[in-house]
Amino acid sequence: MVTEDLVWSALETVKDPEVPVSIVALGLINGIALEGSEVAIQVTFTSLGCACMDWIVDDIKAAVGALQEISSVHVDVVWNDPWTKERMTVAARNQLGKWGIQA
Amino acid sequence: MISNEELLEKLANGFVVETEDDMSEDYRKLLVQTLTITADTELISIFSILDALQYVPTLNRRITELAIIQDELGHAHIAYRLLRLLGVDTDYLIYEREAKDFRNPYLMDLKLNNYAELLTLHALLDRAGYVLLGDVFHHTSYGPWKRALTKVDAEEGFHVRNGESGLRAMVKTAAGRQQVQAAVDWMFIMGLDFFGMPDHLKKRSLQLDFRLKGETNDQMRQRWMKSAVGFLDSIQIQAPVHWDSESDSYVTDFPYPCEWDTDQRRWQLDRPVTWQDVLGRFRTHGPYRREYVEILRRGRESYLALRGGGVA
Repeated sequence: MVTEDLVWSALETVKDPEVPVSIVALGLINGIALEGSEVAIQVTFTSLGCACMDWIVDDIKAAVGALQEISSVHVDVVWNDPWTKERMTVAARNQLGKWGIQA
Repeated sequence: MISNEELLEKLANGFVVETEDDMSEDYRKLLVQTLTITADTELISIFSILDALQYVPTLNRRITELAIIQDELGHAHIAYRLLRLLGVDTDYLIYEREAKDFRNPYLMDLKLNNYAELLTLHALLDRAGYVLLGDVFHHTSYGPWKRALTKVDAEEGFHVRNGESGLRAMVKTAAGRQQVQAAVDWMFIMGLDFFGMPDHLKKRSLQLDFRLKGETNDQMRQRWMKSAVGFLDSIQIQAPVHWDSESDSYVTDFPYPCEWDTDQRRWQLDRPVTWQDVLGRFRTHGPYRREYVEILRRGRESYLALRGGGVA
């Protein structure tokens, strides 16, 4: 049976296309709601002009949709609560620093 | 300036070059040449992408391409900025030099005809840039460039992933797969050209001696082929090369180099040419070079006019 933990694990595999760090570690997931085999995922982005919104949504649908017993993945793009850099994990922040991106 | 011998001895002990005082005349000359090729390539590369925005299917995917253009301009800026640090007149290079004197590869002077070609540009040719600049990043003895390339290396990876992600989606339909194969058929061979003359035709490389790069042209070409073929295999698209266990390397399925038909925009695989012919094609550059350089300069003139009028 599919669990929320499994959905989170699938989301961990989705990387931000511009900086290959997990979207979970970057703090882009606002929440998930699992009902039976259907899951709704709330995702936000680092800015309204994010260059990879379609790409990330497609990757979320592919990664979570690949889980057994998931029949539908609904992705909601939300802007509340807004993303701030404090939502990133320390590891994600350190990785960005190594690429010369101040975070 | 110091002598080549003195510099080579210091480099052998791990010396990092920081200023012109640390360089020999030959080192400075080769560094300027390499940086100019890099800066011109990054700058002129944006125009075929800009033109191909018309083929990108969604608004957000267009913004992805704009982010790539912004990166490429940033990379060009880094290389021109380093040239300025070396006393080169970069305003002349960008705004006054004759279009024919830009040093970008031939492919950058062409136009792309569909979205499959744009994605293939990213998946294959940005990968070539990633290999070439990755080599500089890991091996260069010029400290300021090495430090600046940290960000460039990460961003070129994004461009390659954009191409790969788009192509993976496109090959899911028969029509899309056909377009991707057609794009790879001509663009893969353009990728081979990126790495320049084969090692056996080159004289001893001062670039290697000075550690301005770490790998030979053939080593980088092989590394690129391994990576590119690996990706193309994963989406069942054919590359015009195969692995040869005897030579322990990738070899082409046709006599390389061969003739490029500018009008028909395809390779004549049954017409081998010499590397002198290839270099001749590079020197005469591609059909849209003049147009691209004119767009660049028109942009500056418009901006200056607006600024003069107090608008910008």
